[in-house]
Amino acid sequence: MELFTPGFGLVFWMFISFALLFLILWKFAWPVILKTVDERAELIDKGVEYAQNAKESLDNAQQQADRIIADARVKEGDILRDAEALKSQIVEQARSEARKEGQKELDAAKLAIQQARKDARQQIRDEVSEFAIQIAEKVLRGEMDDRKAQTRLVNNLLDEIENQN
Amino acid sequence: MKKLTVIIVLLVLAACAAVGFSDAIDDSNAASGGTEVKIDPKEIIFEHLGDAYGWEMPFAHHRRIPLPIILIASDGVHCFSSARVAHGHQYKDGDITFMVPTEGEYKGKCVEVQPDGQILKPWDISITKNVLALFLSAMVVLLICFSLVRWYKRHGFTAPVGMLGFLELIVCFVYEGVVKSTLGKNARRFAPYLLTVFMFIFIMNLLGLVVIFPGGANLTGNIAVTMVLALITFFITNIFGTKHYWKDIFWPDVPLWLKFPLPIMPVIELFGIFTKPAALTVRLFANMMGGHMIVIVLTLLIFIFTMMCGVAVGGATAVVSIAFSVFMLLIDVLVSFIQAYVFTMLSTIFISLAQEEGEHEHEKHEQHELAKLTPETAEK
Repeated sequence: MELFTPGFGLVFWMFISFALLFLILWKFAWPVILKTVDERAELIDKGVEYAQNAKESLDNAQQQADRIIADARVKEGDILRDAEALKSQIVEQARSEARKEGQKELDAAKLAIQQARKDARQQIRDEVSEFAIQIAEKVLRGEMDDRKAQTRLVNNLLDEIENQN
Repeated sequence: MKKLTVIIVLLVLAACAAVGFSDAIDDSNAASGGTEVKIDPKEIIFEHLGDAYGWEMPFAHHRRIPLPIILIASDGVHCFSSARVAHGHQYKDGDITFMVPTEGEYKGKCVEVQPDGQILKPWDISITKNVLALFLSAMVVLLICFSLVRWYKRHGFTAPVGMLGFLELIVCFVYEGVVKSTLGKNARRFAPYLLTVFMFIFIMNLLGLVVIFPGGANLTGNIAVTMVLALITFFITNIFGTKHYWKDIFWPDVPLWLKFPLPIMPVIELFGIFTKPAALTVRLFANMMGGHMIVIVLTLLIFIFTMMCGVAVGGATAVVSIAFSVFMLLIDVLVSFIQAYVFTMLSTIFISLAQEEGEHEHEKHEQHELAKLTPETAEK
């Protein structure tokens, strides 16, 4: 079986060519290729790790930002509510103040009006009594011109007093 | 649909070629006075699988590219063209006549005929078809490896494109998937050898599938080639083997009666050292030779059927045979890769088995691992 007996020549050349091929590749090719492949694998691993970290920190930052925004929202709501309360309080206060002030003014005005009315009434009374006295004076002066009339009056008055007693 | 049309056209062309060939045979039959042209399938198969002093040209079986014959004969080195001893011619160089017998013990091998008629077999280191294919394969490996190196030197970490990208993919596949994962920290030490073996076998396999001149030699299907590769693996395995590896062979961890007084296990282990390269040799050789043989047999079927049953049957056989041949060749492309991969993987495993550290190292390592694990488990 020729197929199963290795030929000397082929073994010889195979050994030589393989040895040469191996030496050349071992010295000049594989170090470069393996170094590049290994270093690139490392670089890629590092890159992936870096990207993961970056993503994580980005996620964290995102979460933080979300939290801050949510906090700000809550605070904004609080502040708005406070402002609303304060506003209504101020308005209420102003309103009551105004009411009080108005009342005071009103009272003062009422008082002044009453005073004025009183004064006016007093004046009218004084004037009326003045007028009455003058009229009475005139009337008496006119009536007391004759004696008879005077006597009669005195008698009438005396009668009245007698009757009273 | 378009592809199907192309395939059908190709098959019809193949059938026509077969018909034409059988016509030619008929013509030659007529020319040589009606004597039957006999086909000896065994002869043809073994001629194609084996080595030769010349390289066949396509479409002309008898025209060959002559290659140099180099012989270390009884009186020194002789070197001459194989054309001088072709077709049974004798060539006289000095006192010695050389010839290639067509039958007998030295059939197909160049022998020296002494003046007294005695036939001697000289040491034959001719550049035969297989040797030339070997050189070409080595050249191709050098070319593609250095084109990758040049790319890396020029482009740094940028991944190569096109064919170089494919090459890098293969190199990374073998290096990361086989060498690194099996050998671990020793990977860089043995990777150059293993990768060289892989590339060399892969290229030899692929070139063997090319049917015309630069290819077609059944290199990895030749036991000499696979034997040399397996022997190199064998030497690397045993020369770089650790103390623990040798201890495991001569005093393995088995019950005492298995190694003393009758050294049953040591004998088996020692035997194992030599079966490993033998297995490597035979599996690559047999697989690649099988692939070549199937394609040759399928092709020969056309001629056998044409001889036996006539042109029509031969033509029909051609269609089937060629379809199967194409299919087999496509599978052989896959097999080329797988066989190179398996050879490299087995070599890696054999080397890594001889790189095993001692038990103490193992225990230390395990303790270290345990120590690393404990804090986590304690936390749990």
